[in-house]
Amino acid sequence: MRSQANPRLMLMILSAVFAFLYIPISVLFALSFNEGGLPTAWTGFSVKWYGELFRNKEIIGAALNTLIVAVVSTLLATMLGTLLAIGVEIRRRKGRFLETIIFAPMIIPDIVLAIALLSFFSMLNVTMGLHTVIVSHVVFNLAFVCSVVRARLKTFDWSIVEASADLGASTPITLWRVVIPVMLPAVIAGALLAFTLSVDEFIIAFFTAGAGRDSITLPMQIFAMIRFGVTPEINALATIVMTLSVIALALSQRLNRGGLPGQ
Amino acid sequence: MTQTMLSLRNIKKHFGAVQAVAGIDLDILENEFFALLGASGSGKTTLLRMLAGFEMPTAGSITLDGRDITHTLPNHRPVNLMFQSYALFPHMTVAQNIAYGLEMEKLPRTEIKSRVADILEVIQLSHLATRKPDQLSGGQRQRVALARALVKRPRLLLLDEPLGALDKKLRGEMQLELKRIQHEFGITFIIVTHDQEEALVMADRIAILQDGALLQCGSPQDIYEHPQSRFAADFIGVMNFFPVRRSGDHLLANDGGRVFADLDDAVANNSDAVAAVRPERLHLDVGKGENSLTGRVSAMAYHGLDLQLHLETPLSPDSVMVRLTADAAEARPLSIGDEITVGWAARDTRVFAA
Amino acid sequence: MTDRKSLYLMTPALAWLTGLMVIPCLLILVLAFFRRGIYGGIEYTFTLENIWLVFDPLYAGIFVKSATIAGTSALIAVIVGYAAAYAIAAAPSRRQPMLLFFAVLPFWSNYLVRTYAWIVLLNREGLIASVVHSLGYDGELPRLLYTESAVVVGLVYNYLPFVILACYAPLSRLNPEVIEASRDLGGSGWTTFRRVTLPMTAPGIATGFVFVFVLSIGNFVTPALLGGGQFQMIGNLVYAQFLTANDWPFGAALSMFLIAIMMGLLTLQTFATERASGARKEES
Repeated sequence: MRSQANPRLMLMILSAVFAFLYIPISVLFALSFNEGGLPTAWTGFSVKWYGELFRNKEIIGAALNTLIVAVVSTLLATMLGTLLAIGVEIRRRKGRFLETIIFAPMIIPDIVLAIALLSFFSMLNVTMGLHTVIVSHVVFNLAFVCSVVRARLKTFDWSIVEASADLGASTPITLWRVVIPVMLPAVIAGALLAFTLSVDEFIIAFFTAGAGRDSITLPMQIFAMIRFGVTPEINALATIVMTLSVIALALSQRLNRGGLPGQ
Repeated sequence: MTQTMLSLRNIKKHFGAVQAVAGIDLDILENEFFALLGASGSGKTTLLRMLAGFEMPTAGSITLDGRDITHTLPNHRPVNLMFQSYALFPHMTVAQNIAYGLEMEKLPRTEIKSRVADILEVIQLSHLATRKPDQLSGGQRQRVALARALVKRPRLLLLDEPLGALDKKLRGEMQLELKRIQHEFGITFIIVTHDQEEALVMADRIAILQDGALLQCGSPQDIYEHPQSRFAADFIGVMNFFPVRRSGDHLLANDGGRVFADLDDAVANNSDAVAAVRPERLHLDVGKGENSLTGRVSAMAYHGLDLQLHLETPLSPDSVMVRLTADAAEARPLSIGDEITVGWAARDTRVFAA
Repeated sequence: MTDRKSLYLMTPALAWLTGLMVIPCLLILVLAFFRRGIYGGIEYTFTLENIWLVFDPLYAGIFVKSATIAGTSALIAVIVGYAAAYAIAAAPSRRQPMLLFFAVLPFWSNYLVRTYAWIVLLNREGLIASVVHSLGYDGELPRLLYTESAVVVGLVYNYLPFVILACYAPLSRLNPEVIEASRDLGGSGWTTFRRVTLPMTAPGIATGFVFVFVLSIGNFVTPALLGGGQFQMIGNLVYAQFLTANDWPFGAALSMFLIAIMMGLLTLQTFATERASGARKEES
């Protein structure tokens, strides 16, 4: 198809699409360093909005909550998702049902899972808070970890496990010295992905965090800030959140493919 | 007098309803280079995996040095396997790969170090000790896999299609290399292969497997010269076959001509049979009391050491292959379309039941 | 043997998914058939009322509007996304992974932040307005933010990377010799694209469309932020039943309806893929 394409037209398409994708983000990025904080006029470079941000107790509290949710749900999801992936891949019989249940959390609309969990928790009279957000995030996070680890397992040479046993290693030693080191990059890549998703997740957290102010996560805080009066601090916050996601994703890609695409 | 070190007794293996190995008895001698030869699906790999401990026999027993190891776990057998895919640990260097098995034996560090260095010397890869497997060529990887298994000085080394992934030239070199190493280390080798030439060149003894059963076991010469079945005759080397019928002390071919052979009772009188003769046993001057066969040359191929002819004959729909030595071919120049007569001695005729 | 081991490994995760996904989803399925209590809450008597209510003319307007916005967004996203994927697949192969990576990168940054960026751009005092004014235009600009168009732009912006990814997969697997064969047999560039390239890459387009449509129709964040609460979509309706109107059974019925739309479209898409698979077999 390369012989087909008109290079100038292709370049135009790519430029237009990348401009569309990156101009809005770049504007936020630039604005976060604008002294005046308003998009109408550039009044000089400043990091004062970042300073404001770190003095805002609500934002810091929400950020801490998000960190707790993301770290705990990522750890749980990484354990469960990795075991699940290994279990599925060593299995001889794979049913459609099994595939569906593993795939479902990734495609089910967030709002449906969110209200389902809300109904479920309130029906069981569970007091909602950060813990309910954590267990809910594990649902989709484990599915993503599982899919990343499974992709790696598909190219995994199982004979190295037998080779290890043949050379005298017991099963735990084989796990520790062969399986885990070979799988680790994929597991960490999955975990980073889960962490990013959890940090950014809004809808499910919004429904399952309960009413208290103490369990507000960063995306919930951002939603409230956007909705009820935009302050320039949010540009700084958006820039930080975005940068962190991009770093985590780039790391994840690097671990998973042995290098950033294109390098 | 060499003695038996490994005995298989009535080994059977079923996978569900599928019978992969159907009752095999085999004795392997000390310091032997033994080949399990068979097509894919013959059960040879399953048999090897049972020796390594990765599959448990459905029935039967495996005894090594008088000890029953039928159900011993792979990590508790003095047996090592060189995997077909080599199964090198991708995250370890060459030296770490080789040291792994010794570390499992909890040997002192200094000993591990010196043994790894020694074996690297043997396989001539000392300069690549710190490379990772994906930085090695196919031949180098193969040698690392061999070293990793050998360094443990197992009683028995199993090799699963060890040369399968190498190109033809390298394969030839490695055949000799493997024989040299086996001799040097004095370890019993069992090799699984589907390549009959490989088995003939390397092995002291060969076992031919078909459909999970042992068809014939013997030295390469024994198997080549005295195949006990049509399958074995066809599988090893090249063989010309033609249909015959026994009539008293000789055989009658399709065209009514007589075929002489050293007949035993394998074929009953007046029953159909198959006569066979190797291409190199056919020669141009027919001696007295020999079999003779006339046909038209339909193709010729020059191979340096010999000249191969295809003859169209009334005996069989398949052309008959003749292999003439370079000298014989020079003495009598031939061209396609020539009609020639070839002969062979009665004792070179093999007869199988039809 | 292996299967039993695999079951041990899978059990914790499957138990988690069962407890916190399957059962809650079944719960709202059941909830959809209960009556709403007088003061909110749920009355445990069987009723089909909620199901009928979903199809009540009262909500028809919302459905039509949701479907229009979701459909428009999906259509635009698919056209733009396919063009972008085509251009990436046409680039030199060593550049393709990097182009793809940067096309997908925004997808992994925060959804709210990406949506907020458009508020900054479309705002009455926003960037677009100030650029236009600085170019010397003094008149009143039409309202940009809090319109349906703003919502469509926001949805396209957010889901475009996904469509690019979905369309790139079949395009990159396309055997160039098939295209050359079509040209060799006398097809023009456009005919080749329409009769060969497009049908062979249809599954990617279908996947992209279905996901943008479903994610858009169930969205409540973008309408709330870029639509300014001017109008409702199904997602907002669900949101309202649970957080303000307190009619959980109706909210449950609405989300079942969402799931039904998604499953219907996915089934259609599977059919489309299977029909196209004849063409796909020719790929090497």
